[in-house]
Amino acid sequence: MTDKTTGTHGTTVQDTPAHGDRPLVELRGAGKSYGNIRALHGVDLEVHPGRVTCVLGDNGAGKSTLIKIISGLHQHTEGEFLVDGEPVRFSTPREALDRGIATVYQDLAVVPLMPVWRNFFLGSEMTKGPWPLRRLDIERMKKTADEELRNMGIVLDDLEQPIGTLSGGQRQCVAIARAVYFGARVLILDEPTAALGVKQSGVVLKYIAAARDRGLGVIFITHNPHHAYMVGDHFSVLRLGTMELSADRSEVSLEELTNHMAGGAELAALKHELAQVRGVDVEELPEETDLKASAAATPEGKS
Amino acid sequence: MSMTQQAQPAVTTPPAPGPKETDGRTARRPLALRLLARPEVGVFLGAVVVLIFFLFAAPPVRDGSSIANILYQSSTIGIMALPVALLMIGGEFDLSAGVAVITSALTASMLSYQLTLNVWVGVIVALAVSLGIGLFNGWMLIKTGLPSFLVTLGTFLILQGVNLAVTKLVTGNVATDSISDMDGFEQAKAIFASTFDVAGVQVKITVVWWLVFAALATWVLLRTKYGNWIFAVGGNKESARAVGVPVTFTKISLFMLVGFGAWFVGMHNLFSFNTVQSGEGVGQELIYIAAAVIGGCLLTGGAGSAIGPVFGAFMFGMVQQGIVYAGWNPDWFKAFLGVMLLGAVLINLWVQRTATRR
Amino acid sequence: MDRSSHTRSRRIAPFVAVAAAAALTLAGCSSSSGGKKAEEGGADASAGKADTPRMTVALVTHQSPGDTFWDIVRKGAQAAAAKDNVKLVYSADPNAGNQANLVQNAIDQKVDGIAVTLAKPDALKGVIAKAEKAGIPVVGLNSGVSDWKDLGLLEFFGQDENVAGEAFGKKLNEVGAKNAVCVIQEQGNIGLTQRCDGVKKTFEGKLQILNVNGTDMPSVKSTITAKLKQDSSIDYVATLGAPFALTAVQSVEEAGSKAKVATFDLNKQLTSAIQNGDITFAVDQQPYLQGYLAVDGLWLYKNNGNYSGGGEQPVLTGPAFVDKSNVDTVAEFAAKGTR
Repeated sequence: MTDKTTGTHGTTVQDTPAHGDRPLVELRGAGKSYGNIRALHGVDLEVHPGRVTCVLGDNGAGKSTLIKIISGLHQHTEGEFLVDGEPVRFSTPREALDRGIATVYQDLAVVPLMPVWRNFFLGSEMTKGPWPLRRLDIERMKKTADEELRNMGIVLDDLEQPIGTLSGGQRQCVAIARAVYFGARVLILDEPTAALGVKQSGVVLKYIAAARDRGLGVIFITHNPHHAYMVGDHFSVLRLGTMELSADRSEVSLEELTNHMAGGAELAALKHELAQVRGVDVEELPEETDLKASAAATPEGKS
Repeated sequence: MSMTQQAQPAVTTPPAPGPKETDGRTARRPLALRLLARPEVGVFLGAVVVLIFFLFAAPPVRDGSSIANILYQSSTIGIMALPVALLMIGGEFDLSAGVAVITSALTASMLSYQLTLNVWVGVIVALAVSLGIGLFNGWMLIKTGLPSFLVTLGTFLILQGVNLAVTKLVTGNVATDSISDMDGFEQAKAIFASTFDVAGVQVKITVVWWLVFAALATWVLLRTKYGNWIFAVGGNKESARAVGVPVTFTKISLFMLVGFGAWFVGMHNLFSFNTVQSGEGVGQELIYIAAAVIGGCLLTGGAGSAIGPVFGAFMFGMVQQGIVYAGWNPDWFKAFLGVMLLGAVLINLWVQRTATRR
Repeated sequence: MDRSSHTRSRRIAPFVAVAAAAALTLAGCSSSSGGKKAEEGGADASAGKADTPRMTVALVTHQSPGDTFWDIVRKGAQAAAAKDNVKLVYSADPNAGNQANLVQNAIDQKVDGIAVTLAKPDALKGVIAKAEKAGIPVVGLNSGVSDWKDLGLLEFFGQDENVAGEAFGKKLNEVGAKNAVCVIQEQGNIGLTQRCDGVKKTFEGKLQILNVNGTDMPSVKSTITAKLKQDSSIDYVATLGAPFALTAVQSVEEAGSKAKVATFDLNKQLTSAIQNGDITFAVDQQPYLQGYLAVDGLWLYKNNGNYSGGGEQPVLTGPAFVDKSNVDTVAEFAAKGTR
């Protein structure tokens, strides 16, 4: 699906094989309990390079917990978590980063008062000179940040400006460009379009596509099925801590996806009750049978 | 049902822009205005204004030895203001900084005297104690997650009490004994408390140390990885942690830097004045914080400089001594001090606002 | 994790090494002069103990924490307490309201006698009346020489800071001072203010007040230097505490001034400074005696109904001037920290 491309550091990225080869990140029956609260259970997920996996679900469905496990902030309490086929257990985000799993959080993990270039290289600053005179290589960092941002399509006049002065969409893009630059193989985006307007969301979706085209595996978390459908190759819907739907793009339509998200099954069940109430138009609501049929056609991850 | 299904995703990579395109929306502000917007420049101008004011209002200030005196006062505040400022940029406060200076001096003095040792042993043990206090502060902060204000308030009270009680216990008095006749005193004095001649004016060595530390602090803050970590940890601790910055190490080491500063100023006090009063140091921590804030460090952390507090400390010393040089009514001393400091900060603020406005 | 124990032992090893090295260094680095070894091993005078029944005396002063003068008052009180089989309960607060609370605290503890300082007589009026109602004898010391009778105190030892100040002012006249500066290390402290007020009353020359930050010695030094520069006609610097006098000596040198230094209160280092002429004279209000007499007075009253001064006059303990002519006699006692 993707061509042989040169990675950002000059390393050569392998030809990504067709879908079906070993996933970069895999969860098998994974789950997380906090005390006696089961936040997540029975989750199966696969992330392949050059493909976007969308994880959808309403608030409280367990999406945050899922990302925190993959990004190294929390540890899973059931099931398996595999990176490159080996089971792993991250104790700090640093370990996940070292394995190439980069997360762009909802709050972006940027420091608002710091300049763009300092934020870009935060935690991985470039240095020159021997110890004890090891100092930041500011020129190189500024140049590199500028280049990388331009490659992603962002043009900034002044890299010294505090990152807090950029718009929400721009900040998201800087965060994505940062992750891409640092050799992320898996990019996790936690509701990047949640707080953005239509135009800005469009910009972010473009950059998700750009990252995908560079060969990264992308996990795109959202509660907006329309956005998901614009870039996604595979969709997983979480509900109450478990997977309700797991389907490829070819197996599900936008309408079906939306209905799943909107809790279409409950609405359909309600339809009969609502039909009793005068003044409520239930014609447009799907029939229970319609939903059940489409759900049965897709492979489910539920154990 | 499959009407809206699409074979390929609708979104593709955007084309890369041309080589030297700029956003084009922001015009380059003139260099002068851009400089003025920096907090360090604002406080520098404030300091200059204060200096000129006192040069006019207080004739004795025009003498070289008076400037040396003012610099001395500024340096003893300034040396502590540097690590306090770094800590503030890193998002924390240390209210125990004032009494920690005295703890350090007391330790060195009492240890050397009571065990009749070369004073250098006392000096080194005092360093270990001061670093230990910093380590304790940082560790408590991390372990409890409480605001540093509270943690260091506790340490402040403990140290204040310990200073008084332990001195009384060990020496039987509220002050330590004289160590000026002990081995090593003269050498240590030469390093921590000597005076040298500059064009006929006697300058204290603390002024030199102050400027050296300031240069070092600026370099670390702006030109090293660690400095970047300081800004990050103060600006947004969680973001920093998420991208792999060692937050715990940074915070604890910043507290230990304050400990180092406390040791240095404590040693200066000891070798300048020979005996140490156990009740001293209370209230100094606010002066250090004031110097840092006047110097442009945000109280909430994440922004500031090391140069700003240099001018902040100078401003404080200038105002404090300038009032005396000007011969104003001493009853109003504290009020004058407050008014001048507020004035200086307002000038700083006004300069910054003007420079960043259209 | 498995790795942690291994890395932990590797991390502890350097610390152990450093600690061992430190201990060895300490053993080898003794000083050939000064220090505790050089101190003459003079034990404090130990008298016998009275065989009267044990009684409790509360001494409540307006001491600021760490103040040298009051520390000596306390030592005198402790010496008397040891001799008279008295349990001494000492408490202090520079804030008058808090001091009153401490006296109330003593009343609640049902002590056998209370000794107070009347820095702010009005604040203590109420609580002293309560003490007398409860049948607890109250004596005064140090401050309040003009108020103790009105408040119904039994006896009074020492004298006002005001009186000490007046004597100081007269002495300044004697030595020919024309322009003196009174250095207050804690603006707003009543005792210190009263001293300078006393000086102003009797001193015939010009007296200026200088407020300095007593909690920061470098600041004290700088400020006195600045003052001497501002007014080069100052010929005497009057400080209100021994450590500040020693700092003033440094300031005088730095400012190139010809001023002399005189002070209230003594300490160990001060006597040698008087001996070598750095400091002209010091006022000794004999704080040790004040504390001693206060406690002893209460013991006498309890066991024999005696009260000094007959309820009419205070018992004066000073001020005694210490200058080059008599410093040697005092030096030995000052070295013990009791003068």
